[in-house]
Amino acid sequence: MPVGPPSSAIHLHTAASADPSQPTPRTPTNITIHPVALLSILDHYLRRTETQERVIGTLLGVRNENEIEVRSSFAVLHSETDEQVAVDMEYHRTMYELHHKVNPKEVIVGWYSTGFNLNTYSALIQNFYSQETAPHPAILVSVNTGVEEGQEAGVTAFISSPVGVYPKPENCVFVPVPVELRFHDAERSGLDLLTSTAATPSLTSPQPVADVEIIERSILSVQSMLDRVLSYVQAVLSGEKEGDAAIGRYLMDTLGAATEDLEKSGFNSSLQDTLMISYLANLVRSQAEVSARLALATAP
Amino acid sequence: MAAPSMAAALAASLPAAPVAAAPSAPTYQAIPSSMSKAIDIEADIPLNIVQLDALVVTKIIKHAREAPSTTAHGLLLGLDLDGVLEISNSFPLPQHHGDNEAEKGSKTIARHQASMLRSLKEVQADDSVVGFYQATTLGAFFNQTLLDTQAIHQDKLRHGGIVIVHDLSQTAKGNASFRAFRLTAAFFDAYKRSNFSTASLISHRLTFSSILEEVPLKIRTNPLLSSFLGTVAEPATPQSTGASALDPSFSVLELGTAGITRNMEQIVEAVEAYRTEEGNLSYLSRQIARERAKADAYVAKRKEENQVRIAQGLAPLPEEDVARLFKIPPEPSRLESLLLLGQIDAYAKSLEGTASTGLLKMYGAKAGSGGDKDSE
Repeated sequence: MPVGPPSSAIHLHTAASADPSQPTPRTPTNITIHPVALLSILDHYLRRTETQERVIGTLLGVRNENEIEVRSSFAVLHSETDEQVAVDMEYHRTMYELHHKVNPKEVIVGWYSTGFNLNTYSALIQNFYSQETAPHPAILVSVNTGVEEGQEAGVTAFISSPVGVYPKPENCVFVPVPVELRFHDAERSGLDLLTSTAATPSLTSPQPVADVEIIERSILSVQSMLDRVLSYVQAVLSGEKEGDAAIGRYLMDTLGAATEDLEKSGFNSSLQDTLMISYLANLVRSQAEVSARLALATAP
Repeated sequence: MAAPSMAAALAASLPAAPVAAAPSAPTYQAIPSSMSKAIDIEADIPLNIVQLDALVVTKIIKHAREAPSTTAHGLLLGLDLDGVLEISNSFPLPQHHGDNEAEKGSKTIARHQASMLRSLKEVQADDSVVGFYQATTLGAFFNQTLLDTQAIHQDKLRHGGIVIVHDLSQTAKGNASFRAFRLTAAFFDAYKRSNFSTASLISHRLTFSSILEEVPLKIRTNPLLSSFLGTVAEPATPQSTGASALDPSFSVLELGTAGITRNMEQIVEAVEAYRTEEGNLSYLSRQIARERAKADAYVAKRKEENQVRIAQGLAPLPEEDVARLFKIPPEPSRLESLLLLGQIDAYAKSLEGTASTGLLKMYGAKAGSGGDKDSE
């Protein structure tokens, strides 16, 4: 799932290592980012001081084959002036240790920066983080918050490689790599909650939400999808549109699934089971309530 | 916008504990009259709503899912302003490792907490603790640790702190659930006296439903995040709606009833534990009754003897050594059984919820497939 405007990110395919005796760490060719990391970056951006143009921080995550999963992030203090850039390394170390204690699986994989500018300082900071992540290459995730006019919000990720006759820390090429949003299925509902909250005018939503309401929402969205499919099919049938064979095949695969397995006897026995469970649950609850009240009863 | 932010700044400069209401340097400009009622140094304005920031929502969900045990917990940071407790950040706490290291563990946690707070302060994040969060499954969050921690917080924190309970199994089913609680005054009073005998329960009118009171909770996304989420969730091109970063998900419409067996098992386990606890309690109370009867018999006998002695003109024997002779055990605490009852109730409630939504979905599916046949 892409998280930004269509980009020219390079999809690298690592050639087989020329010398298998020297296992060089692979260059990541794909980067996934967890919502927590994104949200922390945005929060950090909101809390920047007036003089700060951008904020930076450390990305923590897990390395797989040639994919990097960014799982979380934390803010790091830094200062940029016309002459120099400074990163609070001690702070970075302390925070990393604190995070590491709670979640030992997550290691430093790179850094983030807000805004879309890549400059000499970016190269210097990249150089610093490359030392932290050695022997693995560090990644840079650049989050465009979209607050400046003409800029669309989005996320881009880079890896770096040295450039020039002599390798100098302030010289490097940032190569864009594809980046995706990734989260566990179980976390999906939390994200749904946030997107639906963000869509309300007051930007708040009360809790808890009834299950029925969520089911209703899903059914409505299924309904609107069916309507769209129906109107498309009708348009094709009446000859207004030219049918796409691929879409037709998808539709047949999806809608051709029979609902026959939900036949009558199956439905009824399942209904009885569910009713039984509902009855049992109610029984247990009333028993518990009675038991708690009885403890309060005093002899007359 | 200037006014509330200044109030927030003022509130932030105050120490979290109401004890040290230090005379803060009055370098601020005069507080606008519209905000003066929101300035709340002594924490007099009662909290009536908890506002949970989107960042905290994702952080809690992530921590709860990744934690090895189901008891993931951490601290909540934020501010209160005019009756709204705004929770803007959180961080997880390391897990306990075994009971024998409990003492050492609590020290490491305290150190962890202190240095995390210091670090967050440096990057302008909120650094006052307002409560903690606790992950749970199937709604059963009643346990001794939760109550102990909350009782400590209720004593120390401004406004007593709150606990946010996040139900992991609900979230997996498609309904992310967050609820905020604090201890009721009656329970807190009984807890402080650490007296949970029958008499105390009766006088405090305590049942499992009156241990915690729920505080209304709402989720908030800040404007920057809202716009960002809007861009991300928006379809990439108007023609293809499928290519958005957030595909639609229909896990709520799943007809399967996989979790029910586990839920039933847990109810049975909880009932079993409750029965054992009740057995212990009744054994203890029988023992108390026996000891008391013995003591009473002894006193009656001694009285009789004394009457005889007085009638014979002898000095009566002392009566006050009964307490020394018979050790009547103290009345057992009923807190454990109270909590177990609460757990049973919570499990049953979540089972009830699953069953009712299951019914709904079944009829929905039936109506859907029936409708197909009609149209054919």
